[in-house]
Amino acid sequence: MKVVTNQLWDKFSIEFLRNQVLKNAYGNDDTVIAKIDPRTLLIWYVFFGVLPWFMHNPTLLLGLFIFVAVTTRLTKVAPLVLFLFCFGILTQSGYLLIVSWFFGGDLATLGPILIMTLKVAITSLASITVFSGLNPDRLASGLLWFGCPDQFAFSIAFAYRILPILMEEFQNILLSHRLRGKSPNSIGWRGKFRYLIYQVKIIMFSFLPLMLNIAKRSRTTVEALELRGYRYANQNKIIKKMKLRQLGMGTVDVYFAIVSIIWLWGCFLIV
Amino acid sequence: MIKITDLHFTYPGAAIATLNGVDLEILQGEFIAIIGNNGSGKSTLCKTLNGLIPNFIVGEGSGSVTYNGEDLWKMPIGEIANCIGYVYQDFENQIVCPTVSEDAAFSCLNYGHEDYVKKGLDALVLCDLLDKKDDYIWQLSGGQLHLLALAGALALAPDVLILDEPIAQLDPAHATQMYETLKELNEVHGKTIIVIEHHSEYIAEYCHNAILLHEGRVLWKKDARSALRECQQLIDCHIFPPQITVAAQQIQQKSGWKQDQLLPTTIAEGKKFFEKMGILPDFKVRQEVMNSQLAIQLSNIDVQYRSVKGESKSLFTNFNLKIFAGDKIALIGSNGAGKTTLMKLLVGLLKPKSGTIMLNGTDVTALRAEQIAAHISLVYQNPEQMLIKESVRADIEFAMKERDIANYKQQAQALITLFQLDAIAESDGRLLSGGQMRRASLAIGIALEPPILLLDEPTANLDIATRQEIIRTLDLLKDTIETVVIATHDMQLVCEFANRIIVLADGEVIGDGPREVIFNNQAVRRQAGIEPPAIYQMAEQLGGSAYTIAEFVQAYQKELCV
Amino acid sequence: MNKSMTQSQKLMVFVLSMSLYGLATLFTELIPSLQVGIVEFSIEYFIFIPIALAILFDPLSAALGAATGEIIFSEIMLGQFGGLGELEKFVTITIAIYLAGRLVRDPKNVKNIACIALLAVAIQQLMGATVDILKVQFAIEGFEAVPGLPESVFFTEGFACLNDIFFSGIFFSMIPTAYLVPRLHGKIEPLLGVKPRDRETQLSGVKLSPKVIGICIMAFIVGIAGEFLSEVGIAIIDWEASWAESGISIFMSMLLAGVIITALVIKFKRRQANLEVMYD
Repeated sequence: MKVVTNQLWDKFSIEFLRNQVLKNAYGNDDTVIAKIDPRTLLIWYVFFGVLPWFMHNPTLLLGLFIFVAVTTRLTKVAPLVLFLFCFGILTQSGYLLIVSWFFGGDLATLGPILIMTLKVAITSLASITVFSGLNPDRLASGLLWFGCPDQFAFSIAFAYRILPILMEEFQNILLSHRLRGKSPNSIGWRGKFRYLIYQVKIIMFSFLPLMLNIAKRSRTTVEALELRGYRYANQNKIIKKMKLRQLGMGTVDVYFAIVSIIWLWGCFLIV
Repeated sequence: MIKITDLHFTYPGAAIATLNGVDLEILQGEFIAIIGNNGSGKSTLCKTLNGLIPNFIVGEGSGSVTYNGEDLWKMPIGEIANCIGYVYQDFENQIVCPTVSEDAAFSCLNYGHEDYVKKGLDALVLCDLLDKKDDYIWQLSGGQLHLLALAGALALAPDVLILDEPIAQLDPAHATQMYETLKELNEVHGKTIIVIEHHSEYIAEYCHNAILLHEGRVLWKKDARSALRECQQLIDCHIFPPQITVAAQQIQQKSGWKQDQLLPTTIAEGKKFFEKMGILPDFKVRQEVMNSQLAIQLSNIDVQYRSVKGESKSLFTNFNLKIFAGDKIALIGSNGAGKTTLMKLLVGLLKPKSGTIMLNGTDVTALRAEQIAAHISLVYQNPEQMLIKESVRADIEFAMKERDIANYKQQAQALITLFQLDAIAESDGRLLSGGQMRRASLAIGIALEPPILLLDEPTANLDIATRQEIIRTLDLLKDTIETVVIATHDMQLVCEFANRIIVLADGEVIGDGPREVIFNNQAVRRQAGIEPPAIYQMAEQLGGSAYTIAEFVQAYQKELCV
Repeated sequence: MNKSMTQSQKLMVFVLSMSLYGLATLFTELIPSLQVGIVEFSIEYFIFIPIALAILFDPLSAALGAATGEIIFSEIMLGQFGGLGELEKFVTITIAIYLAGRLVRDPKNVKNIACIALLAVAIQQLMGATVDILKVQFAIEGFEAVPGLPESVFFTEGFACLNDIFFSGIFFSMIPTAYLVPRLHGKIEPLLGVKPRDRETQLSGVKLSPKVIGICIMAFIVGIAGEFLSEVGIAIIDWEASWAESGISIFMSMLLAGVIITALVIKFKRRQANLEVMYD
């Protein structure tokens, strides 16, 4: 386990993470899912996020699972996101399974846990479809339409704007630590462990300068937001409507709805 | 248009007033520069014009600011934004949307302009960014980002534009583009433009008038050319007049040679001035380049990088370079030419796809950055990222302490004294001035006494006086550190420091040699967008060559003494 | 001083807390956990960042910023968004950080800060564990009847909770917060143009009014309600659906539900629009 963690750690670079996240958000503008109106997708998500919890029939759940797996495929999700999804599902259920056996569970325990896993998987994939498939700005507009607070909707777009800056600052500070500090010898079992602790420690230490640097930046950002009328707009309903005017449902939305309904119909027919 | 009367302002908690009775009048259509040393209140003055003070920044203020007769401080912020646009010095933080077109239209949308999309696009046209409208912010270069910040302010079609150090982070070619854009806005579109500016060459070239601010007061407002002739007063306020003006003044003083003519501020004026003197100076300068032991050797390096959209781009293909011990190298070339990539390669932060890197005879291609950190050190462009401890002293001590150097305390103290950091050793670097911060980062960078030192843009974002200070500090290093590589746009620094210049363009070395070779090669200059310092251009116009003011003056002195 | 912090300064704290904590959660999401037997040394969260900010500046802005940052950076950006279930996390994190910020009276008192930082984690973890146990109970049909399952869920959740309180609480809240706050105090404030907070600037001696606690409890209940909104619904519809023998009738009711949801949303929007017109 520890060896695996260390290898992962070495391969994982901030550059890679940044690229994956941005690719996930903006790299798939040309997919079918991206063309669907965010409101349609959000309603669809509410449906698919809630529906599995209503059902206990494995076949039905499997049918839903296949459907959301296909939509996820359509969104061209970044590999990292898929990896995290699989990793999360496996560890969570695996852990529960092992512990329940420990407490005298038998094969019968496996069934309910598998079904629960399937449910979690369906809702997660539905969420990946919607939140990775939509570009953040459209997602923000969609949420805004449903009455989500402006500050949250703005924060989504802003988060993507500031992410590269944050990453760069953080990366450089981390490098300062790495280059000027002295990393412990990572040979052997104990060395690897020490090395891991060291890495976590310098990540934490890096937040001190990062907080100061970002504080300096956020002052300018907020002053600029004030000048550029951000708060003025938040207090004004007409402007919110102007922002939402770019949304519009079209044929893609209708097709998407029809396909979803037919698939569901099919699943229920089989059951 | 704008009238300021007896303006005072004190920040909350500050002991002394930042603005201390400013009286000023700015006319419609002016292109005006505000000059003054750090802490003279330039930025604060501008913030009283755009409504940030007193609407968002609380503090004690008195006096009046009127815009076309209306009290600016009583106007709603939305209305002020429609009249006065503002571009920050750290403009990067002013851009809040992920795509170009969105950010340009952001203000218009927020202030409820129905045609916000069109207004945003119009502003992009004015700033020559239309072809980038669908790009994401992180795809833009520094110069383009700055233009975008300008476009964001322009979209509301304000009559007045205020820019805080518009070219501080730009290379010379982009700096000229920025000022050309401003000039067009001023002349064609009738905008009143106010810039805070240290680069006196640009003030001479583009501005109509200049205001000198000192200790929160306006000392004078003059037309730009005569303002720059106030050599002594400017230097006292830590502002450097154009090189040509300084050279002319020094020659005049030293030779005791009286002239009825005014001091020149631009190359054109300089030509007349020096030609009138009737002496053709002897520009003879020699700089020895000696190739000694090989310090770094890069052979057949290939580097690729992945972009957000997926496809990988080649940065270096079959790249070769030799760096010798004792070299003082200036690495120049426009943004994106590969300077930073090369630096990262050298310190091991970036690994080549193929090829080898030899450092003092050992192959370091596969070694991790930490493993070679004691042999080669990099000082970042942004000094804040090198300040990782709570005080300057702790930062300087950090690397030595980690490596169990016994007398690290004394060594750190020696560095602190060498770099004149005593007064500020216990404070957090971020609150220091640009020059102090940069000196601190240099001290941190050489704490381990590496034989090779890399510096990324050591003089970026500094006013001229501070730049001189850094150049002097670098001279101190000449004896301590054997090999120095500086990536820079600052040609004055290049001329004063380097004995070897490497010109990069699109990941290739297109020029390599002493300054005489590089600056005389017109093809290389054009391709890499090199703008030699004004003093060199002046000498070139006069048919000779000189790289620094001292050399120029010396050349004349020799003649005059004869 | 808290009172006189301007709206824009609060927005600065929000932006700062959101970006920093967001970035931190992006990392912690990716750092794999280390398990030795059943004891898990996982890096749950870098909660010391928002706690430090809450202590130094406006607690509510820091708390909301952190909760928002977590959802955006680690949930939406990495495609892990869990819908209404995230409401629970949002609320518990907000409450814990807010309370920590309110409880500290003097940002120079390191001992006090350390205790409160640990307390904040305990509050957050206990609230989280309660919700988690209830959640599994709902998700698994006949939860009680499955052999070994209830015990294991109570055990794993309970253990994870204690594990996190002590491991995360000490290493990722108590120690770093006590390290950071004194080092940031007096240094970060000038960067935002704020006067440093000290003993006198705290809201006139009132540490925690019953009102504040009441609001926190209310908010927690709303959070749980959000978490279970769907699942309580399950029980009802499950029960109603038991008359339906075929899958088709279930499907039809689903479809109907979908249509009703859509119709409600549209109607709601219309009414909102009408109201807006009236206000205009």
